[in-house]
Amino acid sequence: MSSTKITVSMIALAALLAAAPVRAAELKIGAEIPLSGSLARVGGAMNEGIQVATEMFNKKNGKHTVKIITMDDESSPAKAVGAVEKLAADGAVAFTGGYGSNIIGPASEAAEKLGKVYMTSGGVASELTKRGLKTFFRINSSEGYARALMGLYGELGIKSVAVIYSTKEATEEVAKMLETGLGAKGVKVTMHAFDPATNDFKPIIHKIKLQDRPEAIAMIGYENDYVGILRAAKILKPDIKTITGVWSLATSKMAQEFPDLMENVSGTSTLSYPAEFTTQEAKDFAETYQKMFNKAPDYLGIFGYVQSKLLFDAAARAADAGTLDKGGIATELRKTVTDTVIGKVRFDQNGDNPEFTHRMGQHQGGKVVLVWPADAATGKIKYPGLPW
Amino acid sequence: MIDLIAQSLFSGLLSGAYYALIALGLALVFGTMRVINLAHGELVLLGAYVSYTAEERLGLDPLASLPLALMVVIAANMVVYYLISLIKKDRELNSLILTFGIGVILTNAMLMIWSADIHSATTPWYHDAVILFDTLFAMQAELVFAGAGVVLVGAVWWWLEKTWYGRALRAVASNRDAAKLMGVDPRLTEILSFAVAGLLATVSGLALYTAKVIQPSLGHNLTVKAFIITVLAGIGSVPGVLLGAVLLGVVESLTVTIASSALQELAGMVLFLVVLLLMPSGLFGRAKRRG
Repeated sequence: MSSTKITVSMIALAALLAAAPVRAAELKIGAEIPLSGSLARVGGAMNEGIQVATEMFNKKNGKHTVKIITMDDESSPAKAVGAVEKLAADGAVAFTGGYGSNIIGPASEAAEKLGKVYMTSGGVASELTKRGLKTFFRINSSEGYARALMGLYGELGIKSVAVIYSTKEATEEVAKMLETGLGAKGVKVTMHAFDPATNDFKPIIHKIKLQDRPEAIAMIGYENDYVGILRAAKILKPDIKTITGVWSLATSKMAQEFPDLMENVSGTSTLSYPAEFTTQEAKDFAETYQKMFNKAPDYLGIFGYVQSKLLFDAAARAADAGTLDKGGIATELRKTVTDTVIGKVRFDQNGDNPEFTHRMGQHQGGKVVLVWPADAATGKIKYPGLPW
Repeated sequence: MIDLIAQSLFSGLLSGAYYALIALGLALVFGTMRVINLAHGELVLLGAYVSYTAEERLGLDPLASLPLALMVVIAANMVVYYLISLIKKDRELNSLILTFGIGVILTNAMLMIWSADIHSATTPWYHDAVILFDTLFAMQAELVFAGAGVVLVGAVWWWLEKTWYGRALRAVASNRDAAKLMGVDPRLTEILSFAVAGLLATVSGLALYTAKVIQPSLGHNLTVKAFIITVLAGIGSVPGVLLGAVLLGVVESLTVTIASSALQELAGMVLFLVVLLLMPSGLFGRAKRRG
């Protein structure tokens, strides 16, 4: 065979190979998530969203499939690192999950060392995106929660706020943002830190009642803290106009479990309850969720779904481009600009989503009504309005 | 400021009585068998979850669920005792490891059965306000179970000091072989000790369910709190449990009022260390030696 023929044959073979379709891939994604320990409830709820995202992706993509490998991090930072390393050894190309900034921190650093993307919605501390990691992404942040609370207070014209906050990293950060942000607007802010083990809030509420005399109380904590604070407030009845909080408060679960405490209480929320889904994707999500778990989705499930869907789509695009093992998922995520069930998402160089702003919902008659911002509102806020 | 301090002292006393209720079962077993039951907090939580199930499924008032909760918790504690009784060597140390493991198993079993969701009693009466002298505020449940705590501490003290079984229990704790020679059945007295500890854990569980919020991961914290109070009290001292618990409750509460709630756990630990530094045998341990 002449050298010309060999050259032509080689070029033809190369052209054929280049034109050949990329094979369908099974994308193994690791889910490192707390399914036991103190964060089991939130981890379990996020995990449901991840399962729904997997089901929907596998149904709709038509080419690639996602296989989720789940490992319980037992709400422990050390176990989370071990889980990430084990999942990588089992073939995971990226990670979704994580809850608690103190757990996500070391787990995402382990992922960075392995050169694999770590996607979450469970850690809002700003320190997480100041570490210069190339593979860390999250769809929400402390700023989004603080912005929502400040937005509502601004709309209501509130002049003084007492902030009761847990000394955990994320809660303390949101509280400090409120202190700075509201202070800059001339609102009088008093701060009351509490240890996460606290379960009697009467001494704090009593101080607020007798010394601070604010117009509003802001609770920055978790479900068990909210119940303790609201019970203490219901007994001591401070002369305030509204009581608000952040995550895990304006939810269907709290409405059903503690109806005597929740009336007129507001908190950050992605959805009204009963949920009103407007886009086709959101309707499909809610339908799949209902089918899989026999209940309506809550905000943790929604976040778990959104973070996983974005990750799966990016992994699929990277597989198409043949860059799955060459940092392609991170590259694809950085190109992402999309509307999701929680609003617009794009990622900056630190992996943060600067578009994230939460909404505010208020418990009204066993339902959660979105009351802020105006363009997302499904009803009007009851103000002044208290649970007693 | 006087109103704040008064409320703080009142809250501290109520918290102290509640702490005493939780610690008493652990202190009893520790004092009589030299066994630290690290699953005690999980047993308290088990009582709370039985009460929750009875309220949710059967519509029973939490207090009415007491017999059912007693049966479950005492049965569970009997299993703990049986497993401990199988230990033939280094019982003090090996029982620590065993009960820690039982605690982990119980936590995960509760997680599987009841999920990680938070729960609390829904009967409004327990959460209604009680206002004393126009300045002191509490929930009905807090007053009821603080009273129960004081009464049970007194009852356990009376039982140990004044009854034959109580004295037999102390005799076994003091010298097992000598007690045997006196006709005491050590096994029976130890079973009795675990049964009473189960009863105390059940009442603590009801207090927890009605006045606070329950979730499966809480057991470990309850055990730690109970252990601190037991050591603070002085090993085997029942009145010491009440005094230590009230002291802890008041210090924590005053710290919130005067300084910050963020420091209350720290204040509790400082109290613990100071007492142990000055009185290495605990509050009542030294007093007994002097006597």
